Amino acid sequence: MDIHTIRSGVRRIIEILLILAMGLLVIDVLWGVVSRFVLGAQSRYTEELATMLLIWVSLLGASLAYGSGQHLGVDYFVGKLHPDAQGFMRIVVALVVIAFAGSVMVYGGTILFGQTLASGQVSPAMGLKMGYVYLVVPISGVLFILESLSMLSASGNEVGEEC
Amino acid sequence: MDTQVLILVVSFLLLLVMNVPVAVAIGVSTLLTILSIGDAPAFYIIAQRMSSGVGSFPLLAIPFFILSGVLMGEGGLARRLIDFAAAIVGRFPGGLSYVNTLTCMLFGSISGSAAAAVSSIGGFMIPEMNEKGYDKRFNVAVTTTAATTGLMIPPSNIMIVYAVAAGNVSISAMFIAGIIPGIVVGMGIMLVCAVMSIQRGYGAGERATFREAAIAFKRAVLSLLLVVIVLGGILGGVFSATEAAAIAVAYSFVLAVWVYKQVKMKDLSRILLQSGKTTAVVMLLIGTSKAMSWILAYQNIPQTVSEVLLGVSENPIMIFVIINLLLLFVGTFMDMTPAVLIFTPIFLPVVVELGMHPVHFGVMMIANLCIGLCTPPVGTCLFLGCGVGKISIAQVTSTLIPFFIAMFVALMLITYWPALTMVLPQLFGLV
Repeated sequence: MDIHTIRSGVRRIIEILLILAMGLLVIDVLWGVVSRFVLGAQSRYTEELATMLLIWVSLLGASLAYGSGQHLGVDYFVGKLHPDAQGFMRIVVALVVIAFAGSVMVYGGTILFGQTLASGQVSPAMGLKMGYVYLVVPISGVLFILESLSMLSASGNEVGEEC
Repeated sequence: MDTQVLILVVSFLLLLVMNVPVAVAIGVSTLLTILSIGDAPAFYIIAQRMSSGVGSFPLLAIPFFILSGVLMGEGGLARRLIDFAAAIVGRFPGGLSYVNTLTCMLFGSISGSAAAAVSSIGGFMIPEMNEKGYDKRFNVAVTTTAATTGLMIPPSNIMIVYAVAAGNVSISAMFIAGIIPGIVVGMGIMLVCAVMSIQRGYGAGERATFREAAIAFKRAVLSLLLVVIVLGGILGGVFSATEAAAIAVAYSFVLAVWVYKQVKMKDLSRILLQSGKTTAVVMLLIGTSKAMSWILAYQNIPQTVSEVLLGVSENPIMIFVIINLLLLFVGTFMDMTPAVLIFTPIFLPVVVELGMHPVHFGVMMIANLCIGLCTPPVGTCLFLGCGVGKISIAQVTSTLIPFFIAMFVALMLITYWPALTMVLPQLFGLV
């Protein structure tokens, strides 16, 4: 199975997760408002769940947005280069992203996940182990690397065809 | 300390020039800087800021306003607002240019996105104006500049980003503070439209009959009510900005799906996905910027910049000129969200020391960076506007100049006349 097949399969799963998390986010905060006005007391869980969901939406969505080229960049200078040099720069950028995702998100994120879990810290209202909230950091890191590898492999094929 | 600052600045600029995504460039340059200090757990710190930095309840307003903007946009908001604006200002000479500007202001407010305003309103207005004999370049220039006013007129996500970057600034106060300055910029643009339309002899549109105006109003009123609900709820202290945003989502959902019937239930997963990705782009920037502002504070950068600036002059008028010029420069090559996130912690302490209120500074900064959205080489609105109008950036540049002058004059008014920004938040007891 090649990298592109794996990538599109994984993307489909993450897309579904993102859609569910976004939907849940809206329902959760609306429920918070309703519970305050109708039941007289704000549900203790809504704010906490909402901020956790936001972390997951942000990091999962960020990997998808990276794959579809939505993150802002300054393309002015690279745009002035010769097309071959532009292709080379795309490879360099993908490598920078792999280095960042690997070191900070996967390695640093795993330490964050492990330490928070080991500290036994729980969320105040729901009593959920906070470590699991941070699990999304290494997961997102892996997704960023997967997207980059897929881009590298695509530009490798391009070069191959030109030769 | 100097070595670390050098590493931070040089690596960041280099990564930007290489077209590394800005959020990643911020993260990598922060990483290199922390590593060069040596004893801090760099990877862990950044991972921690990136995740916990976005997990805050006030930031939740951002995905909600994005989602409600997409729902309203798909619900045919642009056409409704255009017809409404046409009934009010269409009758004057050069009427379509006012219709364009006013619609952009309203659309930008409701959708919260200048980019969406350029493509949605421009998509209708530019071809229509071309057909009525208006100069193509003029049409693109009006749309591009007018679209930025929606970033100042509430609700506005960039105001939330500023409030978060500044810390301790109320989102409600920012929302209310942006109203008058946003309208001032819009009026400035309309003034340029008036002068150019009279010079060029652009004709007036038909005067709407009372009946036509009433119909146009009826078609738009439910969309406009969204802004009233959000602002009314926040001002009345009924709900927080985040809750108001969630209610805006529910309201736009009902309008788009059941009242206007333009959005089908099967479109929802696509809309949620699109909004989720747009949210994530902003959030990743906020996350890595949180890590960068940590290292900036750790290295005492804000104090250093403050000392340097105050060393140049003690005169607030002079310092505000310098900061505005620096921000104009930044705005030409950097998008608004990263610029606000990076430069707020650097400049805010200086201006506060000189007696400027953080809310006033935020509005000034956003008004300033709006100009950068319309300038080459990196101007999101300009690129989109030229794409919609099918002309090149070089063609439109000279026509844009009078509009830039208007925006700059408005910026000076906003900078040196604090009451313009502060009167409404003071009136409502928000500052």
